[in-house]
Amino acid sequence: MWTFLRRRIISSAIPLIVVIVGVFALARLTGNPASLYLPLNATEQMRTDFTERNGFDDPLLVQMANYFGGVLRLDFGVSLRTGEPAGEMVLRAFPATLQLAGVTMLLAVVLAVIVGSWAALKPNGIVDRISSFASMAAASIPDFWLAIMGIWVFAITLGWVPTSGVSSPTSWLLPIAVLLMRPFGVLVQIVRGAMVSSLSEPYIKLARSKGASEVRVVSRHALRNAAAPALTVAGDLAVGLINGAVVVESIFGWPGIGKLMIDSILQRDFAVLQAAVLLTAVSIFALNILIDLGYALLDARVRPTTRARKRRATPVAAAAQERKLNVQPTR
Amino acid sequence: MSSSSITSANHKFRSPRSGLVGAALAAGSLLLLSSCAVANSEPSTGGTSADLVRIVLPQEPPTLEPCEANLTSTGVVVRSNITEPLVERNPTTGDLDPLLATEWEATGDTEWTFTLRDDVTFSDGTPFNAEAAAFAIDRAVNSDLGCNVEGYVFGDNDLEVTAVDETTLTVSTVSPDPILPLRLSFVEIVPTSTDTAAKVREPVGTGPYKVKQWDAGTKLTLERNDDYWGDAPAYAEAEYQWRAEGTVRAAMITSGEADLAMGLGADDGAGDLGLDYPNNETVALRLTAEIAPLNDIRVRQAINYAIDKQGITDSLYQGAHIPAAQLVPEGIVGHNPDLKPWDFDVAKASALVAEAKADGVPVDEKITIVARNAQFPKVSEMSQILQEQLTQAGLNVELKMVDTTQHLQYQLRPFVSDEGAIALLIQHGNQAGDAAFSVEQYMTTTGAQSVFGTPEFDTRLTDASVLTGDDRESAYQDIFAYQNEEIVQFAFISHQTGVIGKSATVDYTPNSSSGDELRVAEITPAG
Repeated sequence: MWTFLRRRIISSAIPLIVVIVGVFALARLTGNPASLYLPLNATEQMRTDFTERNGFDDPLLVQMANYFGGVLRLDFGVSLRTGEPAGEMVLRAFPATLQLAGVTMLLAVVLAVIVGSWAALKPNGIVDRISSFASMAAASIPDFWLAIMGIWVFAITLGWVPTSGVSSPTSWLLPIAVLLMRPFGVLVQIVRGAMVSSLSEPYIKLARSKGASEVRVVSRHALRNAAAPALTVAGDLAVGLINGAVVVESIFGWPGIGKLMIDSILQRDFAVLQAAVLLTAVSIFALNILIDLGYALLDARVRPTTRARKRRATPVAAAAQERKLNVQPTR
Repeated sequence: MSSSSITSANHKFRSPRSGLVGAALAAGSLLLLSSCAVANSEPSTGGTSADLVRIVLPQEPPTLEPCEANLTSTGVVVRSNITEPLVERNPTTGDLDPLLATEWEATGDTEWTFTLRDDVTFSDGTPFNAEAAAFAIDRAVNSDLGCNVEGYVFGDNDLEVTAVDETTLTVSTVSPDPILPLRLSFVEIVPTSTDTAAKVREPVGTGPYKVKQWDAGTKLTLERNDDYWGDAPAYAEAEYQWRAEGTVRAAMITSGEADLAMGLGADDGAGDLGLDYPNNETVALRLTAEIAPLNDIRVRQAINYAIDKQGITDSLYQGAHIPAAQLVPEGIVGHNPDLKPWDFDVAKASALVAEAKADGVPVDEKITIVARNAQFPKVSEMSQILQEQLTQAGLNVELKMVDTTQHLQYQLRPFVSDEGAIALLIQHGNQAGDAAFSVEQYMTTTGAQSVFGTPEFDTRLTDASVLTGDDRESAYQDIFAYQNEEIVQFAFISHQTGVIGKSATVDYTPNSSSGDELRVAEITPAG
């Protein structure tokens, strides 16, 4: 287990460095942000002073070396826009997005499992058709439109929730509802498909004939085997949410990292952008590792070991193979 | 049964599995329940209160540093609320009102003397005197901080400030400057304890309010300064929030979550709760008059004739904006009330273009209209209209929408020079109230935002800048007329209005400075 973790952390470090270097270079390719931070009629002298003060006239490699040196000392630079330490700004904003993303994902998974399983019980039945239509609609509706409509209907017309902001418990409802739609819609489709194939397996018939209740059949037997593909997709969707639900945060004034990142890009606030990307990338790598551990929990046949063995063809093992785990088959 | 075939080697993994699922669910619900408070925020103190005015801005102030107060996003909170300058321009009359200075006069060619109030203290208890004033001006204008107000108002020129005695301050300039007091109205006064090596985020000032709490990312609260030298404001606290979307800001007004909303568009949904006010912004196309085909004055005139200014304001802005004939609106010193906007005459425009073509001017060369995304409401729609109308005059026009940084590359020296003729859609706001601020940048040959000028024009501009009073006013009026007749670097479109959302719970009358300087002391409870 620890060998596995160690190996994964090391192999995540390289893409992490590539991401940071990439963002660093690409951001600076957009030129000197002096004109954004100086008044419009700033003189040449002022521009030169600004450039020197922030080290933008050094060669790119020198700037990068300075930056990485700072990162190793946990110094991520200072925001051009606010003058605050970039690391502080990013760490302050991240938990808000994490809360939003965490609750949204949890709800999406729970609701998708319920609806998807229910739909799978009678393929092409009424529930299945309705849920199919609803889930495709949910996955397709643009979140920007949904957010504005939600505000208009529930906040202005009905007055049930605040329009935006983070002032009260009810202010969670609209942002989560809007952010929930796409993951929910996609996951329902996946769960439904996996459950349909799971429920047609012989062991399900055996369980039913032994007198197991429908709930037990679905949850304890079928669902566990259907969980792996759902976990893969849920992981990808969660990564998308962690990336910062930019639209939702912008519209609802949620003080998260998505809005911070988009503002830093538009304002060419390099330090904050780099810190935000670094933090997001680290979380995504951590999430991927957690998902891999999740596979191990789900299926006894999938265990990370140091010995590479021939894998058995199971849905979980196949998914795990995609993620390059070493699998020890059992007899 | 699922467990019957598990070997003993795997047996130990069975119980943690179900336990872990349970643990995960428990953690999830804990997340839900314990954090009804969102991270990065403080719990709200409640809804409305008779003592609290709630204002919603388009963006969070990046900082409250007073020497950056000419930046709208900072100044709207800081100016005349937390800090004050020596003199303040009255947006309605255009005159300078005394504030921390009671009198001022030119005591030499390059020297002004100010008499200061003697009954003022900063909100941290330190006394306001000439030394503090000198310190604040020196810090903003002469230091290495790179203050925005320095570049905006003073350029490279330093000021020599001397505290003669407790209440007398002299300020000397490099060359004669009749509008020095106006320029100083942008310098907010801070105590001598303010950091000179770095900009500060939360300042101390002499104003009617001071910073109570700033939850970065969520909201900013000001509280009344009980030691304020002037009249106490009506509201004990002011709470600022920010929402990027205009429709959401308007929604906060209609739903009663905010009392004032800044920077709305005409159809953001505020309805009757939206107040129109002239906001000093003028929109125009700036033409690269040295690049073909814009280097022929007939083509530039044709562009002016081809734009249906009234049609644009009627269709996009419900008729609220005013077709423009010059770079500054009414109320700015130098505005020429006799100048009429160019007629909308497509036939005349086409005729001019044809005439130029017959003379060998390459009118088929591409002209690119460059506009900035989200610069003002309906900017994309306006740009498309402009492209269409210029094309109808017989020109070859393309449209390019870019973000702020790219737009600035076209707007400021050194300009983008390898893309042919450019018609840049600019929005110019003259906050200062004097035409000098506009023409210096946009009309001199070497102006930071000027792509065309002539030596004769430069002389006129320099001559005008040292005049005072009525001479100054008429000199600048002549300059604007001359621009339209002889130079035609611009195709003016309209003087804009802004919209402020105001709920029925407060009384407030916006003026042309409201967007840049929202004085909370002028907001009172309704009725």
